[in-house]
Amino acid sequence: MKNNFLYMAIIGGLVIAAGCDKKLDTVPKQSIDELNALKTASDVQVALIGTYADFGGVDSYGGRIFLNQDLLGDNNELTWTGTFAGMTQIKNKAIPKDNGFVANTWLVSYRAINDLNNVLSALDVLPTQAVKDRTEGEAKFIRGSLFFDLVRSFAKAYNDGTPASNPGVPIVTTPTRGITEADQRPRNTVAEVYTQVIQDLTDAEAKLPTTNGFFATKNAAAAMLARVSLQKGDYANARDAANRVIASAIYSLRPTYAQVFPASAAQVVNHSEDIFAIQVTTAQGANGFHQFYSPQSRGDISIKAAHLALYEAGDARRNLFFVSGGSTFTGKYESRYGNVHILRLAEMYLIRAEANQRLGTSIGATPEQDLTRIRQRVGLPAIIGPTLNDILKERKLELMFEGHTLHDIKRLQGTVGLLPWNDKTLIYPIPQRERNVNSNLTQNEGY
Amino acid sequence: MRKLKLLMLIGSLFSIQLLFAQTKTVSGKITDAKDGSPLAGVSVKPKGNVTAGTTTGLDGSFNLSVDAKTKVLVFSSIGYSEKEVTISDKEIVISMVQSDNSLSEVVVVGYGTKIKRDITGSVSRVGAKELANTPVTSFENALQGRAAGVFIEQQNGKVGQGIKVRVRGSASVSAGSEPLYVLDGIPLITTNLSSNGATTNPLADINPNDIESIEILKDASSAAIYGSRGSNGVVLISTKKGKAGKSKIEFGYFTGTQKPTRKMEFMNSEEYVQLFRLAAIGAGRQDFLRGLYPTLQAAIDANVLFVESRMTRYSAGNTDWQTYKVNTDWQALAFQDAPISQYDLNFSGGNDKTIFFMAGQYLDQKGIMVRNGFKRYSGRLNLENKVRDWLSVGMNMNFARSLNSRISNDNAFSTPLQITALSPITPAIDPRTGQTSGALDNATGLPNTNYPVYYNPILSLENASYGTAVNRTIGNVFANVTLMKGLTFRSEFGIDQLNQNEESYNGRKTRRNNGGATFGTGFFTADQIINVNTNNFFRYVTSFKGAHDLEAVAGTSYQNYKSYNSTGTARDFPSDAFTKLVSASTKTDASSSETQFTFLSYFARANYKFNNKYLFSISGRYDGSSRFGKNNRYGFFPAASAGWILSEEKFLSNVKWLNFLKLKASYGQTGNAEIGNFASRGLYSGDAAYGGQPGTRPTQIPNPDLTWENTTSSDIGVEFSILNSRITVEVDYYQRKTKDLLLSVEVPGTSGFATQLRNIGKLDNKGFEFTINSENFVGKNFRWSSSINFAANKNKIKDLKGQVLGGGVNKAKEGYALGTFFAREFAGADPANGDALYIKNTLLPDGKRDRSTTNNYNLAEDVEIGNPNPDFIYGFRNNFSYKGIDLDVLLQGVAGNDIYLAGGQYFAASGSNGFDNQTRDQLKAWQKPGDITNIPEARTFYANGVNASTRYITKGSYLRVKSATLSYSLPKSILNKIKVDRVKIYVRGQNLFTFTDYIGWDPEVNADFSASNISQGNDFYSAPQIKALIFGINIGL
Repeated sequence: MKNNFLYMAIIGGLVIAAGCDKKLDTVPKQSIDELNALKTASDVQVALIGTYADFGGVDSYGGRIFLNQDLLGDNNELTWTGTFAGMTQIKNKAIPKDNGFVANTWLVSYRAINDLNNVLSALDVLPTQAVKDRTEGEAKFIRGSLFFDLVRSFAKAYNDGTPASNPGVPIVTTPTRGITEADQRPRNTVAEVYTQVIQDLTDAEAKLPTTNGFFATKNAAAAMLARVSLQKGDYANARDAANRVIASAIYSLRPTYAQVFPASAAQVVNHSEDIFAIQVTTAQGANGFHQFYSPQSRGDISIKAAHLALYEAGDARRNLFFVSGGSTFTGKYESRYGNVHILRLAEMYLIRAEANQRLGTSIGATPEQDLTRIRQRVGLPAIIGPTLNDILKERKLELMFEGHTLHDIKRLQGTVGLLPWNDKTLIYPIPQRERNVNSNLTQNEGY
Repeated sequence: MRKLKLLMLIGSLFSIQLLFAQTKTVSGKITDAKDGSPLAGVSVKPKGNVTAGTTTGLDGSFNLSVDAKTKVLVFSSIGYSEKEVTISDKEIVISMVQSDNSLSEVVVVGYGTKIKRDITGSVSRVGAKELANTPVTSFENALQGRAAGVFIEQQNGKVGQGIKVRVRGSASVSAGSEPLYVLDGIPLITTNLSSNGATTNPLADINPNDIESIEILKDASSAAIYGSRGSNGVVLISTKKGKAGKSKIEFGYFTGTQKPTRKMEFMNSEEYVQLFRLAAIGAGRQDFLRGLYPTLQAAIDANVLFVESRMTRYSAGNTDWQTYKVNTDWQALAFQDAPISQYDLNFSGGNDKTIFFMAGQYLDQKGIMVRNGFKRYSGRLNLENKVRDWLSVGMNMNFARSLNSRISNDNAFSTPLQITALSPITPAIDPRTGQTSGALDNATGLPNTNYPVYYNPILSLENASYGTAVNRTIGNVFANVTLMKGLTFRSEFGIDQLNQNEESYNGRKTRRNNGGATFGTGFFTADQIINVNTNNFFRYVTSFKGAHDLEAVAGTSYQNYKSYNSTGTARDFPSDAFTKLVSASTKTDASSSETQFTFLSYFARANYKFNNKYLFSISGRYDGSSRFGKNNRYGFFPAASAGWILSEEKFLSNVKWLNFLKLKASYGQTGNAEIGNFASRGLYSGDAAYGGQPGTRPTQIPNPDLTWENTTSSDIGVEFSILNSRITVEVDYYQRKTKDLLLSVEVPGTSGFATQLRNIGKLDNKGFEFTINSENFVGKNFRWSSSINFAANKNKIKDLKGQVLGGGVNKAKEGYALGTFFAREFAGADPANGDALYIKNTLLPDGKRDRSTTNNYNLAEDVEIGNPNPDFIYGFRNNFSYKGIDLDVLLQGVAGNDIYLAGGQYFAASGSNGFDNQTRDQLKAWQKPGDITNIPEARTFYANGVNASTRYITKGSYLRVKSATLSYSLPKSILNKIKVDRVKIYVRGQNLFTFTDYIGWDPEVNADFSASNISQGNDFYSAPQIKALIFGINIGL
């Protein structure tokens, strides 16, 4: 008996020991090995969708890449009462090099860029040219958009000094397979980044279909190109690109301004004015504007009387503001699951109007006609023979709190309080964590 | 085999024959010196012959045949001082004295036990007596201050939450730093499964009163047998066993109240209003300087108007704030009456074949913070049977259910202590609605969106719940086979199974803190962990020629840990009466996930003792783990140690005052494998859905070379006892050098990744520990004993390849201790304009630092401003007993550490960062040119001086009366009358007094939402520790 037990025990012990070696081969269940990630057409498609998830992250196109720039460029029109110290620093134009929000915008944007560079590296597995083109176009739309917002947030404006020598941000167009010396990337110049942006968006416009669900389309690329060109001061291209979008006749202004920004507790889908919007559903994504502008959420940003005073009597846009608990809020972001409007048709009318006005042309329509479209919708009379300032004022009020404030001030060489448009405090610092690990990155002036 | 057995039988018969010819019989009786009761199970052995001997029976008597030459018998029993008695013709009648520090004490080590005298490594032991009846949730709390070199820190005073344990310092930067916990041979689940950003403590499922002893393996020679998981130390928990003899019934009960150790002082209404009036003026000045208004007066007017409108808002829409009519002490509302009660009932006993221990416990503890509480039901059966003389089998079985009513993490508006941010001018009940402030806005019929200043945590108390329920089963079966004389085989199979549900509901009135959800949100998550472990090992003990003792252990171990999680969230419920997800109209999210790791190990150890004075031990473990890449899957962790008992040497035999002296040294390697389960692989994750469509993205960059973190430790020590063993001293000096740190290395973000796990860098811990136990006075009735333990550890990062890690003020940086605070050096308010000033500290060409000041934060450089690691920790215990009265006092302290009061950026911000109520010292803010003060000018939302700096660093040293127990045991005379074995009544205080210069709540703190290896010593609205006062009774039948 004792012997049998002994044998059993020893044999059992050996069996346990030997049988287990294989047991060390565990496999992850929520993730797959990167080598198996981009093997089929379907793999590449889901990786492209994953790119949108990072692209639309709350620190990037999900809101803060725009919202924080609005805080930085605020001209005493809004009140910040938030507790997020990093955003208080941005609002006060006293941004430490290690500001976490600035670092996150950088990190998430480059993460999305690596996502899409992976997609671009795997186009060969896609079955048809049409699918290849669409995929390439979407990826390049995202890449162009991100580099545009990175360069205008982290570098001098295009119209500030010499873009051909001003440092921009590092351009990355290949997927990362391992961390090597090559990742010690220096900053490309502002001009180089703009060139890359325009190249990407031009490619995207050429390759994208006109309809593509809520994903990027030909017109989304054209609309972004219009925005980029305007920022660059290239009015002809801005005008033409905006005109292409308008002329496609796919989009139409919503009948009322309030309908552009539906306040709803439920999920909201894109509407006729949306050329491109980041999708927010109950399960995925978040609207970064809602988080700070809406009293239903943090309600950290309320609107000052100084801003309200800018509206003419009868302006429906004025009526979208509302008072809650004694403070005034913008009504643009009262939907928790509202999509983040990135490009909407009204902006195209305003770009075309401004560019036509500056160039003395009437491509597509006269500036007056375009301006009237915007004004009529909000119940304002047409301005006969509008001046450039009329158009710019309309643009400011129409697109307020949508991430244009600071970039327009820079483009138009205005001021933020007493600070000139090209003040160094109006440019983000290169994140300290990035410079700690990349000695080739130079810091911006003043940091 | 059969032949062998026959041979052995013949051999043994023969030897008995031989023995018979030359033996004598000794008999006697052993009693307990304390009460004269018979002591069963005492080991009786001839001196110098470890394999012969017997144990005393139920009546304390023994009969032993010994070699005729034997002159001395050695009596030993766990918990009693060893005694040597010279054999005479008479019956041996002796009594044995209970002792906590006996050299004969049996100490549990990895896969075996050892007598304390023979230990060559470094092991701390804490026994049941010290753990018993402590009014705490988890046993680690009860260890605090009791084991040298073991630093224990509870994050905050929330019950059932995370506890940090560091054995001889932190040995890792990015990988886990908690010790390995092994309960009766099973590595325990310690995974934090909390979903609310604050860690929970899976060890809280264990009933501290089930524990017989806790051994902490501190050096490599004792921990290397746990190989790749030994670097952080190993905590061995042994549960109680029955003892042969009369069966015992024990009942224990205590009840008491709990309070916070400390509170902070905030401004009252008048002060609050005054400060914010100043803040309006300060902000006006800034607005004017920035050109936002045409005149200074216009700027000030606009800001005063703004602040006054806010005062009115926060004063429930009226002007009571002008008269300071309402003065709400919000802090008081964050705390609740917190009773605690615990009931224990256990049965134990056995005969010469079977022993058993059966225990049940119910703990009902309220937390000191509102809505916080912990309940635990647990049951245990430990059973062992001698099936044959060569086979014994047993089973230890424990089930527990714990229910933790939880509160939000420290960083949430809804955590109770963030209530201190609310304005004293805000009434607790809104007079406009008669409801809790914030519950209802008459204008909308919905909860207020911006009254009070922040979300009122009381709304979460009244309208929300968060419960964590754990069902835990820990059990193992084992068999011990005696294969031949001295050779045994032990097989253990254990399961630790943990099922946890977390369920929360946030009702309609929590809307402001609930993403604007008007109709409530709900959340449910279920975790299941199955942790299977089996150990199979041989043990061989022999002694030969009377001078050589050898013990060898060799075996294998396999662990398979699988974890499953599923979770669901939903919103829009019919009413707050419906809190289950089934009733929600929108199910917002659902997910499930699974993960796994395995370890396969081979281990061996040999101990050799020569002449009872030269001790040697070698051990090693060969470990394989699924966590590492195929190329580096296995690692080998060897260790060796030696000891020399000098007091056995002739040249010391004349030194009468010296009873024992041992020198010891050890050297060895251990590993650390506490990283993610799939950390070496390049991964794409499927967590990137967008717009309702599935998506993937790269989430981890591969590192096929990833391998163990390796710690080489050396330890030298001396143990001695003097003056009739009244004073015993243990001193250890150690060095632990960790290399190949498993480091989350920051990589250029332009790569698309933020970090990569690599084996980079080196980190050292060195330190020294001592323990002194002293029987200061041993009289017939009065006895006084003391015990001191002290440990100083110095942690230093030697090499990180130039990197600086850490997101907040805590950094991991070469040349500094892990988590050292780095920030700007604050220089007070600029006397000219009230700007916060910082010392530049930029490096000058001559190597010095520029000590001039600047008001531009970016022009100043971060410097070392403090260290969250204590210079030393200590415990000092005194026990006084007089007849049945016993007073036991434990002091515990931590010295030399700093704490970063991270909440200061809001509540010590001179009103410059929100309308948060401020600490009273902020009234000293700068007001006019020439003012010399450390508090910058108050400026609403100008964040004047609130960025990280020395402004918020303070000393964290403290000394606590950790526990003080006064007990009275009824004398035998009364007990005999009422036919009860033992009755003890006691009153006990836990964390009774705290002495510290710390300015925050409690100096034992680490903000729960940010706690990590690097992020230590932060206080962010963290609940203070619990002070308890209890009354209890123990009855033994």
